[in-house]
Amino acid sequence: MLANKRVWLGVIALILVLILTGTVLGALGDRTLSQGSRGPEVTELQKKLVSLGYVVGNVDGIYGPKTKAAVTRFQKERGLKVDGIAGPQTIKELKLLTGESTNAAGKTVGPKNVDINLLARCVSAEARGEPYIGQVAVAAVILNRLKDPAFPNTIADIIYQPLAFSSVADGQINMAPTSSALKAAQEAVSGVDPTGGALYFFNPAKTKNKFIWSRPQIMQIGNHIFTR
Amino acid sequence: MRNLGIGLLGLALILSLAWGFTEYRQAAGLEVVAENQYQRSFRDFASHLDQLETDLAKGRVAATPGQKVLYLSQAGSISEAAVKDLAQLPAEENGLSYIGEFLNRAGDFTRTLAYQISMGHTPTVEDEKTLAEVHERLLTVNQTVQDLLYRVDTEGLAWVDKKPFLNRLIGFWQAGTAEAAAEGADGPASSVRSGLDQLNASLQKLPPFSYVGEYESRSVKEPLGLPKQEVDKDTALKAAKEFLSKIGYPENNLQFSGISQGPLGVYIFTQDNLFLTVSKRGGKVLIYRDQRDLNERTMDARQGKEKVAQTLKELDWNMVLTSTEDFGGYLQLEYVTEENGVRYYPDKLRITVALDKGQIIAYDATPYYAYHQKRSFVPKLTLEQAKAKLRQGFQIKENRLAVIPVIGNKEVLAYEFRGIYQDEEYLVYINAQTGVEEKIQRIIKTPRGEYLQ
Repeated sequence: MLANKRVWLGVIALILVLILTGTVLGALGDRTLSQGSRGPEVTELQKKLVSLGYVVGNVDGIYGPKTKAAVTRFQKERGLKVDGIAGPQTIKELKLLTGESTNAAGKTVGPKNVDINLLARCVSAEARGEPYIGQVAVAAVILNRLKDPAFPNTIADIIYQPLAFSSVADGQINMAPTSSALKAAQEAVSGVDPTGGALYFFNPAKTKNKFIWSRPQIMQIGNHIFTR
Repeated sequence: MRNLGIGLLGLALILSLAWGFTEYRQAAGLEVVAENQYQRSFRDFASHLDQLETDLAKGRVAATPGQKVLYLSQAGSISEAAVKDLAQLPAEENGLSYIGEFLNRAGDFTRTLAYQISMGHTPTVEDEKTLAEVHERLLTVNQTVQDLLYRVDTEGLAWVDKKPFLNRLIGFWQAGTAEAAAEGADGPASSVRSGLDQLNASLQKLPPFSYVGEYESRSVKEPLGLPKQEVDKDTALKAAKEFLSKIGYPENNLQFSGISQGPLGVYIFTQDNLFLTVSKRGGKVLIYRDQRDLNERTMDARQGKEKVAQTLKELDWNMVLTSTEDFGGYLQLEYVTEENGVRYYPDKLRITVALDKGQIIAYDATPYYAYHQKRSFVPKLTLEQAKAKLRQGFQIKENRLAVIPVIGNKEVLAYEFRGIYQDEEYLVYINAQTGVEEKIQRIIKTPRGEYLQ
């Protein structure tokens, strides 16, 4: 009787542990997540999707239709099997793209991409709807300003310089960047500059500003003219 | 009934008055916040200019290399702080750029000189002359700004000129540009803003002081790897088509879509998702991007790199892979030239390969054509002599000879040592001709690949 009781206690304890690890300690990657899943792993999944520019609605730990749509888009853009389910491959991919960096001793040192998100926000706000290469070009303009003595010396100083970007003045800069803008920012940071050194860009249909029209023009990509 | 109506209207009036008053209070509050922010930046600006001016004076007189490097590098970072303050002041898009440019160049010059002195260079008469010139110019700038600050404190000088009431009402007021504000403005400034505009315009008139610093090395004035002769559009189109057929688009229908100006001027061609530029000089493909969607991947990173190696062979490139970043569906790769065991880092080629078909979807040969040239470096130090220059406890994992770019638009031949020192991994470069430690890079491991800092 006593032995039986111990077995039962053990079973109950095991069930409790399983429940607790499932809900409280559950980490992204422990199980496959799909529409209807709930819990902290879903929250982690949603945060990772948002940081890569995929819209999930509220980060609420509930795998709803919006999260499914975000996972689907992520899979499509990253060359994965498209099924809207966050299985091992999809989660591995998310971790690859958002994971922290380490030094030689394996100590984590943060993601080490502090400026990418702000750069991508600016690209997203200024060049949403432009061809991808045009988005890389806008990011390259900001990076070219970093290297030019007539401009401030950090990404934030350049973007938030009063009157430098209309998207800062109207608050669009505060919107989450698109996945395409994030990729474009990344590509420009790697050194790609389709404009060959542009410092300004403008939409000829939307501006009459004399200063900007007086700049020596380099080329047009999409709706933007890029100038020196 | 009528009284009730009047009562309701009265209540509505009181409510709207209360609402209006709250809005007004909030707006006034925000205006104070903005004003304080400007005041803080302006006062910081003045204080940084003052420190910068002092450091330049001390840098001029310092006789020992240690003191000189100290004051000059201090001047370098304070000039950056001053530029940061300036960038927070309201201005037109080209508003105060000449002040910013002067400060950035002053900082660039002092940093470069400090770097050179730390490498064992003795300042030349020319260096000292430029330093004196920068200092004297800064004295004037500093004086002007201190004067504006004095007037803010004593006369309550306004932040911006008062807008005419009527214009303000209809919102048609437009600020004049720096140039406009400076015309016919010889008298004392009527506001901080116009004072800074005057200063900006006065700096615009001065000739740039001459030195070779970091800014010079960052824009390509003359692509060294391209022949002088320009090709016509048809030749460029032919080159583009040949390129496309080699990377997996045998049938293509490229359209000419424009040209670009400048030292790296190109012909631009497009087709559906494809974007491609061909240099006017020499007709080389500089940038290519396929903006198509990715399909489900069919290969791993190793197979992807093998595919790229094959394609590069067909494109007549003979380079070594130096960096891989794995973004899952695609890899970003960097290649450089290597001859007789010497790596030429400036001669870089960037490739992105999609792992669905192993096709190159992005290609950027701009750095290669901008910097590739015939070099004639001969190492004076042996490997063992260079190793002796490394700090004790640095564990070497790999070493080779490499040509690297350094400050001042120059290249040097160096021994590259990859190794570990106290839990961190580095690339340390020892100049193969002078033996000085030229450059240190720290290696960070991201989940996607290695990253240099």
